[in-house]
Amino acid sequence: MSQQSQSLRPYLQCVRSSLTSALCLSNFASQTSERHNVPEIEAQTSPEVLLNPLTVARNENERVLIEPSINSVRISIKIKQADEIEHILVHKFTRFLTQRAEAFFILRRKPVKGYDISFLITNFHTEEMLKHKLVDFIIQFMEEVDKEISEMKLFVSLQKYLVGDTALTLRIVECTGKICCGVVLDTDVETQPRGVQPKDGGRNK
Amino acid sequence: MSIIQQVSTASLSDNWRTINIDALDPESSSNFDTTTLHPAFAPVSDAEIRNVGQQVKQLLRGGDAEGALRGALESAPYGGDAGVKEVHLQTVTEVLQSIKASDMTPMLQRIFKTEGGSDALDVLMKYLYKGMGASSTRALSRGSTLTPQSTGAGFSQMGGRPPANESSGSAMSVLLSWHEKVVDVAGLGCVGRCMTDWRKV
Repeated sequence: MSQQSQSLRPYLQCVRSSLTSALCLSNFASQTSERHNVPEIEAQTSPEVLLNPLTVARNENERVLIEPSINSVRISIKIKQADEIEHILVHKFTRFLTQRAEAFFILRRKPVKGYDISFLITNFHTEEMLKHKLVDFIIQFMEEVDKEISEMKLFVSLQKYLVGDTALTLRIVECTGKICCGVVLDTDVETQPRGVQPKDGGRNK
Repeated sequence: MSIIQQVSTASLSDNWRTINIDALDPESSSNFDTTTLHPAFAPVSDAEIRNVGQQVKQLLRGGDAEGALRGALESAPYGGDAGVKEVHLQTVTEVLQSIKASDMTPMLQRIFKTEGGSDALDVLMKYLYKGMGASSTRALSRGSTLTPQSTGAGFSQMGGRPPANESSGSAMSVLLSWHEKVVDVAGLGCVGRCMTDWRKV
């Protein structure tokens, strides 16, 4: 665990400094349509107000894309997915969050292609909320989501174990029950190997 | 009865509702030519940049890591095409990986104090982001060519997952520790200049 956080720290630190730098937003009305004020990074209508996107990567499967513009910043996170189960869990988890995007203010309803979850911070958010708290929120989210996913993975394996265990116990109870009764009722239980018994154990014969 | 029935197959195939008409209008702000905002860069050829790379490697072999880093950063090919820039990125990454972690901060401080040192660190910052971005796009393109593993029914909507590769992790951690040290020495403004500069590396 300590080794994990050792390599995680520079990654989060790098995201933190990049975000702090990128969250420097001002009000900017749309140049294409009058009386509109849209996040320029989403509209992509004025190339001169879009800044160079920054990528922070810990490895190929864990990275953050920061796309700054004059009045909005889009932050996309690729969450660590070591195997198929984590892949499924991340998918379900981010889906759960994005369906409730209303409650999160800065959450984007759809992730940017190639990433798992995206945030969109506009100048109105930075006016209402504290900038360093916004940065803290993103960093905390990144810390928590890894823990959450590995916890869920543990629960899944635990459930798997419990299901297997219960099934086995039931089977043993069933078999022993039949062996006890088999003395008087049914003799084919003992002659058949246990592994290939049909589920009803030849009860209906 | 409904609108859908009135639309013929011919009008559906045009898909005219999804055409971005702003892109077709030369007066539109989305066609603003950003090259008018900065002076043109001197073109750099492939041979020139390979020559620079050789010189940098020579310095590195001679034990002058600081000189190699400086030389590599000062000869950044702003005017070159993608291939030239990729070659120079390789050179810079090689220099960065050959410098020990304990030498990073003193070296950066020495470079920062000299004349033009702040600019050199800005360029270094650009290369750090480019290095991190380049390996992730490589992973993306590789991941998309892979066929998704069969997981049985029900999960086909999620597509393929790029295979875990631990070798890239060590290269990334070098860049991440450099990033941290550059921010320590040159400040957050360095990241800001990296985002706003037209001189892309």
